[in-house]
Amino acid sequence: MQATWHSPLGDESSQLHRDISRVLFTQEEIQQRVVELGREISSDYAGLNPLFVGVLKGVVFFMSDLMRAITIPARMDFMAISRYAPHGGAKGPVRLIKDLEETVDGQHVIFAEDIIDTGLTLNYLLRILKTRNPASLEVCALFDKKDHRLVNTPVKYRGFALPSRFVVGYGLDYREGYRHLPFVGELRPELLNLA
Amino acid sequence: MTIEAPAPFSHPVEAEFARILDFYGIPWQYEPRTFPLERDALGRVTEAFAPDFYLPDQDLYIELTTMQPKQVRHKNRKLRRLQELYPDVNIKLFKRGDIRTLMLKFGIQDYPDMMANEL
Repeated sequence: MQATWHSPLGDESSQLHRDISRVLFTQEEIQQRVVELGREISSDYAGLNPLFVGVLKGVVFFMSDLMRAITIPARMDFMAISRYAPHGGAKGPVRLIKDLEETVDGQHVIFAEDIIDTGLTLNYLLRILKTRNPASLEVCALFDKKDHRLVNTPVKYRGFALPSRFVVGYGLDYREGYRHLPFVGELRPELLNLA
Repeated sequence: MTIEAPAPFSHPVEAEFARILDFYGIPWQYEPRTFPLERDALGRVTEAFAPDFYLPDQDLYIELTTMQPKQVRHKNRKLRRLQELYPDVNIKLFKRGDIRTLMLKFGIQDYPDMMANEL
């Protein structure tokens, strides 16, 4: 018997739903695209046992769904980096605060990102990974906000192009909230204190 | 309340943008070049444009503006003119909405105060 699970967020009268002014990508659209990406990667990496690498925390939802859509042997691991502190409050430059447990040397690495925006974080992490001599290194991003790119990085697998909007859900947060929404949408302007 | 910009920047948004680049170790220059856009009959520059930032590793100029969308027309015209005259120059315009998105992404909660003055 197939189990069914209904997210409490499916209740459109919930507080979280009321905070959303517009849904850009539904849960169904996201799931369908993730499955397509999984199929494509599975075909391209057959026999290569790729290592999927993500940076915490936003990627966990995408990584979970993507890995379950991968039909070949594969592994995953996570990194984490220090957070930017506004107004000169940053204690030094960005640094790794959680490193990989898996070895990258000689491995076929796919860097999975929930969203690529400026490309600054991605550029920093790819530079680190490249020094570890992977057999290959490609990027898979579910959402791509290309107009904001400051550092260009080739993206081999792309889910959706994202307009220049601040969005939440499916890993994307506002003050650490809303990550667990199963869809991606815009917050109501009053919640962002929009200027 | 408005936030003052530390030197050499003319706007607090520029200062925050520079700090974000520093955080990621991205080299930048502030207004390093002025591009003449129009000249009079004697060849004197009558209109010019100095993009806010240049990222040498990316060979990319960045212009930031906090103007309201209706007021950006003049800036757009300058950018179009620059691209006509200097087609090899890569430039990206971050408009008010783009900057707002960027500030929210980097957890800058008081961005409305930063954007109170026009850039």
